[in-house]
Amino acid sequence: MSILRIEGIGGGYGSVTVLRDITLTLETGENLGLFGPNGHGKTTLLRMTSGLMRPSSGTIQFDGRDITGASPSKIVTSGLVHTQQGNTLFGDMGVAETLEMAAFTKRARAGATARLEKVYALFPRLAERRKQKTRTLSGGERQMLSIGSALMCAPRLLVLDEPTLGLSPRLKEELTEALIEISNSVPLMVVEQDVELLLAVTDRQVLVEHGEIVREITATNTPDHAEIVAMYFGAQA
Amino acid sequence: METLLATFVSGLVLAALYALMASGLSLIWTTIGVFNFAHGALMMVGAFVAWTVSEVGGFGLWPGLIAGVATTTVLGVIIEYLLIRPFYGQRNMVLITVMTTLAAMIILEKSAQIIWGARLKQLPRMIEGDISISGAVISAHEALIVVLAPLILIALWQFTNRTPVGRSLRAVGQNQEAAALLGINVPLTFALAFGLGAALAGLTGVLLGGIRFITPSLGSEPLIKAMIVVIFGGLGSLGATVGAALVIGMAEAFLVLTLGLYWTPFAIFLGLIAVLVLRPNGLFGRS
Repeated sequence: MSILRIEGIGGGYGSVTVLRDITLTLETGENLGLFGPNGHGKTTLLRMTSGLMRPSSGTIQFDGRDITGASPSKIVTSGLVHTQQGNTLFGDMGVAETLEMAAFTKRARAGATARLEKVYALFPRLAERRKQKTRTLSGGERQMLSIGSALMCAPRLLVLDEPTLGLSPRLKEELTEALIEISNSVPLMVVEQDVELLLAVTDRQVLVEHGEIVREITATNTPDHAEIVAMYFGAQA
Repeated sequence: METLLATFVSGLVLAALYALMASGLSLIWTTIGVFNFAHGALMMVGAFVAWTVSEVGGFGLWPGLIAGVATTTVLGVIIEYLLIRPFYGQRNMVLITVMTTLAAMIILEKSAQIIWGARLKQLPRMIEGDISISGAVISAHEALIVVLAPLILIALWQFTNRTPVGRSLRAVGQNQEAAALLGINVPLTFALAFGLGAALAGLTGVLLGGIRFITPSLGSEPLIKAMIVVIFGGLGSLGATVGAALVIGMAEAFLVLTLGLYWTPFAIFLGLIAVLVLRPNGLFGRS
């Protein structure tokens, strides 16, 4: 049984086509990574998956139900939670307030207290900064809060867009460990430039280029470093 | 000494009224990013509906108050749906909605003229009698406004800071996409903010109708004052709005005493310009 099934998705902004024809399935119990050069449609694909954008063609099924063109709030309610790239969240809200509010849907509100404790255990730094306003957090702390808020939504699939963008190597390591721990209980779909992280966190990776999936990496055909560099810079691998 | 006290008390009454008016405007601005020029007209409608139910219908003031607030709440949601919603996400949304809410103001004022006529009307006071505070006499109705305004504003603060729905209002105001991705229904939140802002306008209108004569233009002068308060305080937080209402209310009361009625608006606008030059984000605003 697949948890997410994306079939023939295409579309973009106005007359600019970003995605051509993307077909992807995420099986239950598997974590998927997406990588590839900037501006080739990864973020657009995630935005369409979470309802922020409407695809012009194709269908998206989550947990067997069609969610193509549904509103973001409906999609979150059904359990697909999207964490945006470089999310600035709510500058004037405190850390604890943001996390409490994040359990907004009826489904998320049940068991919110226990989930809050889990988030604080996962990111002790957030617990230290409970009262602090989000605008005063560092980039790494904000990223933790962003992922923490997503966990408060009681995700059944967590979609992450560049979780380690702009973070120091040490923070990256910290976050990678947290993501591995999260993946034990929630399936992940991660867009990330850092292929090392993808290999550590996800079971299967796909390369998105020019709005299409051009290559798939599984445990049996892992490319070496040179090949990955070649994929990024557009040479034929 | 007695004059000073009397002036202080009348400043308090003005501040309470301005704070109530401005809180509705500010709520809509912080959630949707729309400056609602129909806010004053909604106050006027609230007062007229309350008058009709209370005086013409003979049901009394409290049912009138409820009817007035209910009517403006519904009108607020309708205005949001018809005149704001079609323009969400457009690049010139702020300018477009200046025009559409101005249009709503004109429609409401002219409709009131047709329905209720231009003759002056007045609501009875919520409480009869006068209260004397060591020599300074104000009506019990005005005293009620001074007591009621902080209570309503505290309730509003509690709502936006402590309840999930109230917090979602602030979340939508600060980051619409991030709010949507937590499962918050953004269009519904907009309607809610507009309805709540309009309800506050209606309530203020009913309170005002016990002090001033009700005419179709009842709300236009208060709207300008409320705008000054909101801008003066720095668009945004409720606390800043209340602080600004106190400053403006007191300034107005004491300027009327010293400069006279004629020069007071001039002096207040001058003060507003000075504040905006020195602190572009308002007196209590953050950069």
